[in-house]
Formats: sequence, C-alpha cells, structure tokens
Amino acid sequence: MNAPVNASPITTAPLLEATGLVRRFGGVTAVGGIDLSVFEGELVSVIGPNGAGKTTAFNLISGLDKPDAGAIRFAGANIAGRSPEGIAAAGIARTFQHGRVFANLSIADNVLIGAHGRLRAVRPDWPIIGPLAELALALVRPASVRAEEATLRDEVSEILSLFGDRLLPRIDQPAHSLSYANRRRVEIARALAARPRLLLLDEPTAGMNPTETAEMLEIIASLKARGQTILLIEHKLDMVMRLSDRVIVLDDGRKIAEGKPQAVRTDPAVIEAYLGHGNIGAAAPAGNAATAAPTLPVTA
Amino acid sequence: MTQTPPILELRDVDTFYGPVQAHFGLSLRVERGEIVCLLGGNASGKSTTMKIILGLVKPTAGDVLIDGVSVLGLSTPRIVRLGVGTVPEARRLFGAMSVRENLLMGAFTRNDKAAVAADLERVLALFPRVAERIGQQAGTLSGGEQQMVAMARALMARPRIIIMDEPTMGLSPLWVDRVLSLIRDINGEGVSIFMVEQNANLALQIADRGYVLQTGRVVIEAAAADLLVDTRIRDAYLGGAEAA
Amino acid sequence: MTSWFDHTINGLIIGNIYGLLAVGLALIFGVSRLINFAHGSVYVVGAYVGWVAVSVLHTPFPVTLALVVILAALLGIAIERFGIRPLAGAPRIAPLLATIGLSFVLDQTVQILFSPDPRSVPMQLPNWRLEIGGGSIGMLDLLIGGIGITAAGALFAFLKLTKWGWAVRATALDRDAARVVGVDVDQVNRIVFAIAAALGGVGGVLVGMYYNVITPTMGFEATLKGIVAEVVGGVGNVPGAIVGSLLLGIIESYGVALLGTSYRNLFAFLLLIAILVLRPNGLFASRHQLPPEPMTGTFIAPSKPIGLPVPLLAALAAFAIALPLLIDNGYLIQTLTNAWLYALLGLSLTLVAGTSGQVSLGHAALLAIGGYTSALLAADYGFPVWLTIIAGGLMAAGLGTLLVSPAFRLRGHYVSIATLGIGEIVALVILNWESVTHGPIGVAGIPPLEFFGRPLYDTNAIYWVAFAIMLALALLQVRLLSSHLGRTMRAVRDDDVAARSFGISLNRYKGLAFAFGGFVAGISGAFTAHMYSFINHETFNTHISVLALTIAILGGMGNVGGAILGAVALIGLPEVFRIAAEYRILLYGIALLLLVRFRPQGLLGTV
Repeated sequence: MNAPVNASPITTAPLLEATGLVRRFGGVTAVGGIDLSVFEGELVSVIGPNGAGKTTAFNLISGLDKPDAGAIRFAGANIAGRSPEGIAAAGIARTFQHGRVFANLSIADNVLIGAHGRLRAVRPDWPIIGPLAELALALVRPASVRAEEATLRDEVSEILSLFGDRLLPRIDQPAHSLSYANRRRVEIARALAARPRLLLLDEPTAGMNPTETAEMLEIIASLKARGQTILLIEHKLDMVMRLSDRVIVLDDGRKIAEGKPQAVRTDPAVIEAYLGHGNIGAAAPAGNAATAAPTLPVTA
Repeated sequence: MTQTPPILELRDVDTFYGPVQAHFGLSLRVERGEIVCLLGGNASGKSTTMKIILGLVKPTAGDVLIDGVSVLGLSTPRIVRLGVGTVPEARRLFGAMSVRENLLMGAFTRNDKAAVAADLERVLALFPRVAERIGQQAGTLSGGEQQMVAMARALMARPRIIIMDEPTMGLSPLWVDRVLSLIRDINGEGVSIFMVEQNANLALQIADRGYVLQTGRVVIEAAAADLLVDTRIRDAYLGGAEAA
Repeated sequence: MTSWFDHTINGLIIGNIYGLLAVGLALIFGVSRLINFAHGSVYVVGAYVGWVAVSVLHTPFPVTLALVVILAALLGIAIERFGIRPLAGAPRIAPLLATIGLSFVLDQTVQILFSPDPRSVPMQLPNWRLEIGGGSIGMLDLLIGGIGITAAGALFAFLKLTKWGWAVRATALDRDAARVVGVDVDQVNRIVFAIAAALGGVGGVLVGMYYNVITPTMGFEATLKGIVAEVVGGVGNVPGAIVGSLLLGIIESYGVALLGTSYRNLFAFLLLIAILVLRPNGLFASRHQLPPEPMTGTFIAPSKPIGLPVPLLAALAAFAIALPLLIDNGYLIQTLTNAWLYALLGLSLTLVAGTSGQVSLGHAALLAIGGYTSALLAADYGFPVWLTIIAGGLMAAGLGTLLVSPAFRLRGHYVSIATLGIGEIVALVILNWESVTHGPIGVAGIPPLEFFGRPLYDTNAIYWVAFAIMLALALLQVRLLSSHLGRTMRAVRDDDVAARSFGISLNRYKGLAFAFGGFVAGISGAFTAHMYSFINHETFNTHISVLALTIAILGGMGNVGGAILGAVALIGLPEVFRIAAEYRILLYGIALLLLVRFRPQGLLGTV
C-alpha cells in the first residue's frame, strides 16, 4: 500500500534511538535506564512479563509520558519530552494496549482521524490565520478539499481491506459496537492511515483467539514485507520469533537481553525471567523438571 | 473430593461489558486448602473473573458460590466478611497512608481489637521486610515491598481464601521467588489461594491445579504438575497460536 | 478608615466561613470525585434553619447550632442517597449536573417558602469588642474563629483516629482497593455528605449572623467561593482547602479595601483562573503530577441518534415560517421568537459541550459579550444595527475564545469550573468597567432591530428574522459537523489522549469549536439586546448558562435538531402554560435532574 518502501535494514544511524530512559512512579521504578534502537525497515519486538515496563517505554517514546531521565532521538532529532502531537507529526504512530478507539465515531471516521496529520488542502500551512482558514475551507469545501477527502476515504477502504471482511462491512458502525478484536484492528488501521515512519504496536493480539492471532501475524508480516518499520510489544512468543529481526527483553524495568530471536530464546537471563529458578519454596512439585528446558518453549 | 462444598465455585458464568462478552460459560472451583491458578494472556478475561468473585461486576448469567452458597447480589463488603481476602492487580495500596494503616485497613471488617493486634504481630513476623517499613508511606515503597504489604494486608482480614491478581507482576526475579514462596507459606497455614497469573510456569510450580482461560473460555483444566509438562499449556501461557 | 488589622481579621473570618464550605467540598471530592454544586444550597438551608430557630422558636445559640447541624446533615444524606448514588455508573459529569439541578431545586424551594426578600438573623451574642492596637475583635469574630478551629480539630481527629475516618481516607486514595478490604463505600459517601453538609449549614448560620442578612440566592456564590478555595488548596485536599479559604478571605478583604466592594468576586475568580492555569493541582501539590484521573469523561451516552427525514424537517420549517399567518397570537409568536434565540444558544453549547466535550458552565458570557458589543456600538457610536449584530457575533467568537483559551489545557470537571469562573469574570468586568459598559445602570435605549435600514417593530417580522438567522446558522453547523472538523472535534471529545497521538492539537480544535459556537451565541445575545432595548450585567446570568446546558442535554448532546427542539420545549412550554418565574427555575432544575438520571442521551440522541 502506501508505507515507505525501504528494505535495507541497517543504515548508518537508527531511526529511533532511546538511551538511558528512566521513569519512576513513587517508590516504583517502572523503567530503570533502558536503551533501545530501531533501524529503518526493521521489526523489533519488546517482550517481558506484565509490569516489566514495556508500555511505559511506549508511552515515553510516543510522548504521553515524560521520562525522568534519558534521551530519545527519532530521525536525528531529540524528541524526549515533546508533545504527543509533535511526535505524531515527526512520523510515529501507535496503538494502545487496551484499545483506545473513538467510541462514538464510525470505523471510517476512526481511520480518517489517523490521516489527520496528512490533511493538506483543508489545513493550509499559513501562520496565525491557519485555523480560521481551516474553518472556512471546511464550511465552503472547494474542489481541492472535496478531492482530498474523497482520496482519503478511498484509502480508508483500502486499509480496511487488509483485514478481509472483518471491518469493511461495518465501516459506518460506531466503534463502541465492535468486538474487542475488531477494536484492535481499527486501531491498527488508524495508525496505518498516518503512514508513519515508525509504527508502535502494543500487544496487537491481546484478547484474540488462535485463529485471529494467526491472521494478525500474517497482516504484520505483510506490513513488514512492505518495508514498514515496526516496534512491537507482544506476549505470544511464537509470533515474536517468526516476525522479529531483533528482540529486546525487559524485566523489572531493565533490559536483560537483546539480539536475534534464536539467541534470545537460549539466553539464561531470559529463561530465568520467564521460567524462574526452579527453586521456589521448599518442596517444588515434580513437574518442576520441565522448567529446566534449555530454551523458551515455542512451538512452530 | 470430600463432602464439603468447594470454598469457591463459579458456575456457567457469562459476563458482558456493553456489547463485548468477557466470559462464555465460565466454570471453575477452588477446594479447601488448594492453590489454584487461572492462566491466560492479557484481555483473556482473568481480571474480570476476579471482579465477578468480589461482586464488583455482575455476571449476566451463571452463579458464584462461596462454601456452596450463592453470593450473587451481595455487596463487596459482605463477600469480604465471608472470608475472601484480595491482593489486587498492581497492589493498589493506600499510597498516602502508612504501612501500619494499610495493614489495619486490611482488618476493616473485624471488630475484635485484641485479636487484630495479635494478628498484626503475627503477620509482621511472617513479613520481616514489612515490619522494617511499618511507619513509612506505602506509596514510597519499592514494587516488591508493596507486593508484600498487599499480601500482608489481605491476611489481616483472617481470610479463608485469598484471591490474587498477578502477584508477581513487575517484580524482579528475586522478588518473584520471595512472593511465590510466601504464597506457599500462607497456604501452609490453611488459607486457600486462587491466583490469576500470566507468568504461568512460575505460578504452576506452587499450584495444585490450574485453568487456562482464552478469550473468556476455559480451554484447559488440569493438575499443575500435568500442566507444567503439557506442551499445549506452554503455548497457551506464552501465547502460542496452536493452543487447545 | 478601617485599619489593616481590621481588614486582616475580617479576611480571616470570611476565610473561616469559606473554609467551612471548602472542607466539605474537598471531602466530597476526595471520596466521590465530584464537585458538589448543591453545597451552597445546603448553606442556604442552614442559614434559614438558623433564622427559623432564632426568630420563630427563639432557641438559645447552642440549640440553634445543634438544630442546624442535624438538619443540614440529614439534607446532605438525602442529597447523596437520592441525587448522587443512583448515578454511580453514569458518565462522570452526570453527578455534577445533578448537583446543579439539585441546587436549583433547593434554592427555589427556599425562595418559595421564605420569599426572595432578605432577612436578618438576630445576633444572639453580646455586642462586645476587644480593642487591640489600631483595630478590634468582636465576640462574634472570636466565636466564628473558635467554631472554625473546633470543627477543623474534630475533623482531623475523626480522619486520623477513628475507623470510619480511616475508611474515608482510604476511599479517597483508592476507592476500589477500599472496597476489596471490605469498606462499604456507600456508607463512606453518606458519612462524608453528612459531615460536609453539617459544616456548610453552620457556615450559613454564621454568615447570616456576621452580615446580619440572608437571602435565598446567596448559595450559588457560596458554592463558587468554596470551589475557588478548594482549587487553591488542591482539589480534594482537606488541609489545603482550609489554607486556600483563609488565603481567599484575606485576598478578598485587602482587595475590597483597595478597590471597593464590587471588586470582591473579581479577585476570587481571577485567583481561580490563575490557579487552574498555573497550578491545576493546587498550591501544595508536591510533584508534577496529572490531575486526579476521574476529571476526564464527557457527557456522551452512547446512543443511536434519531434521524429525522428531510421532508419532515422541511415541513416543520415551513410550518414555523407560516405560523404567524395561521394564528393571530402575538404572545405565542414572541415566545417562539425567544425560543429561536435560545435555540442559537443551545446550538452553540451543543457544539462546544456535546460535539467537542467541553462542558461549559459560563456560556451566558458569550451572550453578554455579543449583546454588549452590539448594543454599545449601536447606541453609543451610531453604527447600523445589522452591522453591530455581526460585530457582536465576531466579538463573542474572538474574545470568548481568547478568554477561554487558558482552559483548553484542562479536562473534564476543571473545564466546567474554569468556564464558570470566566463567565463570572465577564459579568464582573461589565459591572465595573463603567466608562465603557455603563456599569450597574446598564445600557438603555438600544436601537431597535432593523432590516437593511428599516426598523423592525412588528412582532411577526422579528419572528421571521430570528427564525431565518437560527435556521441559517443551524444549517451551517450541520455542514461543519459533516466536515473533517466534525469528526476531529468528536475525536477530541471521545479520547483526547488518542487524538493527540494522531497529531490533533487540542488547542486548535477546542478553539475552533468555541469560535464557531461563540459567533452563534454572540449573534443571539446581540439580537436579544436590540429586541429588549435594555440590558445590564444581570441580563445574561448563570441561570441562563445552566438553562443552555439543559437545552443541549434535552435535545441530545451534539445534536443540531435536538438543540432547537430542546429550546422550544424548555422556553416555549413554560410560557404556554404560563408558569410563574420562580416555579420556572424549579422546573428547569427538576428537568435537569430527571434528564441526567433517566434520559442522558436526550430526546433525539447524542451524535
């Protein structure tokens, strides 16, 4: 579709580079000095148990929260502490873990909001009178504005067709009437409509059954094949292993491992975080032996 | 098992949030003295299960029983008085109150002052780390310490069953071990445990039985030892697409 | 000239009374996350209970005080049980609106029972003063101070030492966690409402004795002052509310000493806006932190709007146009003209509060800006009326947006408080800026409406012009809603966090909503001014702001047709049934209460 086509995974500097990110809430350190980078065209996954700081890190990158320390560079500029709208304008779009669709807006309007930053004809880039010109153009609606809106509506249908017939037949229904899985899909469609240079996906398959999860895996794979740069939070490890160029493992607010999926699977620190020491309590049950498995169990 | 009814039982529960169904005919039970684990990914319906038990969310169909008696329609304080203690997700301490005040709030439903004071001593003996922090504001504690306080607070009600929502969430491996062995200790004193966990392999090491929840349905029910070696469960708890 | 010592004492005494109100507001906000607009009405009830006790029953002071405490506490419990608790699962703004409805009902009931005339509360204490330095302290000053300190001490002891005091604090910190340790949060609410109401009622009696006068309308101002004090101290912060109250009292007292009595409230509201903009968490918030979360949430009940077919709408419009020809009833035509003007106000507010989610409680200020601009330009400078009406619309759009712009960074309830404060500031500036606005005497002899140079006196002609303007602006608003602006404003309303994440600047779109809505309301105010030929600073009062909100909710928030229907129903029907003025406000209060409870999506549904 319309994503930037740039297949070369490693260029000189990373597209996104966060260094030393820290965020504390009271006595709890949610993110305790994380470094993280994503190169153009890469798909990087962030994994780790609930509460490891994944979503907090996403909030810091997308500007919803401000780091107590650390720097975030995106496409060469420091974006740490910038407003969410400023970061969106820089080319980052995200989805939310619990699904934040606009409940009273139709699916089509939800996705069109994603393209808000791309409106040109109706939002002339004039200083001071820009907002008033926008109001006037919205009310008068000259041909250029109507053409822009029509183009975007076509594009919305195109994006929604990515999800087969999950969303297209419901395009005019309000988002509050959708199932949980469909809300997640609307969020991804909305993010794609922004044509972001970097797409942040926060657990896109949460609440999905195996069939739906497999479907989502294919969709993300196709986005990656088109050259879309993606930073993914996910718990379903087989999905992570199949999709990722690189995996970053967080635990307790810190990065405990990073590397190719295969390398991470066999990293002792990761296995410990996921599977424990196997020495909990005085008398562990017999089944405990299973945790001595040398790699994270992932079935293909 | 025995003639006595399970301490906790859910029968064919359906739950809705607006148009979205969170539970589809959910049934499960916890026998006296058991540690039972409810496993599942995010948004699989685990936390809603906790809310149903506590009466914070009303199911549209089915029944919730404690000691064989339906508690549907009872207020949360009434259910707590029946002996249900809670360790909520993300601890939920009273951040601006001291640790001592937090613990005594745990005994809010009790009126036996002397026994409460004795229990406070007992609980502090069980959690020496909490005793060190007794005068501190709860919100200033580290995540692991807060988890200890949350468990200690639940114990102060002298519960017969404690339900725990992701007690190891956000803790370092060291603290995870401490928390899980403390759960064993609490269970050793005769308190049944019903815990929701995503960190399944860890939880199953201390559990008797487990259920796997997926998009609001129980897809697997088995003894913890069997679940630990069950490849399906590995996929399910780590979210494999091939589960069930 | 009174000494600074006296001004300080006076400020502390007034601050003490504000404190009795603000502490209750803070307690209620703490456990319910609710700004209780009915709080001042409890204070009025307390004052009148005190008056009845002293003047009719001739009770001694301690008995008077006990009666007030008991009856006010019972009223507080009733408000909680029947006004607030049924709305437990409703959108967060719903209980706030319910308390506004309750305040209308309580104030009007007192007014109907005791007449609107001021009454004096006989002083029950020896009129004895202690001379200190250049000033003096009276017995009553000491009594008020003593009661304030005693009440604060008792409250502190309750919160720190008793089991239910702990439960109140725990519930304020984390309601769900309090529930799961077994706290009956309904009982906590009841206790808190009872304490808050008792303190408020005592405040009412004391203020009656201090100023030696009480009126049924003094509650609204008391609520506002309590809210200002609470915001200064940090919403929900009980000790902060006490400090905020004393500070407010002293600032007011010094301000009055410097500039005069009519500036008293201006200081309070400027302080409110300054705090909201600069330190929305109050003076004592230690860290940079987000305001308490439940401040979000608009009044949008998910519903399917009822789509009326275009032929039906066209037929209704045609009927409205033909009506003056069909019947010969000048009174009805005048009433409907009024309804069209209120419909403009409803359109404005339904765009701002419904479509964009900014529940404004100061919307009458836009009418006032439009009305005064047009009236002054026409009466004092001789501009043609058609031009001044347009100027009124533009001024309301521009100045209104500018004045509200500091509030664009706020969310939820804070927006409502800020717009309320800004509305009061506009009214006070009109009152005090005599060289331009003619001050308290108002603007008289405003030139009549005209139609391209021809004055309009004919009732039917005025009706048609009003209807045409209303219809044109309604159609323009429909066009706006169908553009990208419509979806953008609704996105801001539904989830401002997600909206910002897609590059939507909240300032820009809230600003556009207020600009368009300000223009529509400004035109309405201007038209009204020329139709009445006289306006003053009370023509466009807070009751009209609340009525506008009731119109928007009745029709369905964001719903253009709904705003028109709501105006016809709420303006037209009471006139047709010739309901007397004091019962009308009562009716509006009841209508708001019933709507919030039973049909939050309004008659035609939210959009």
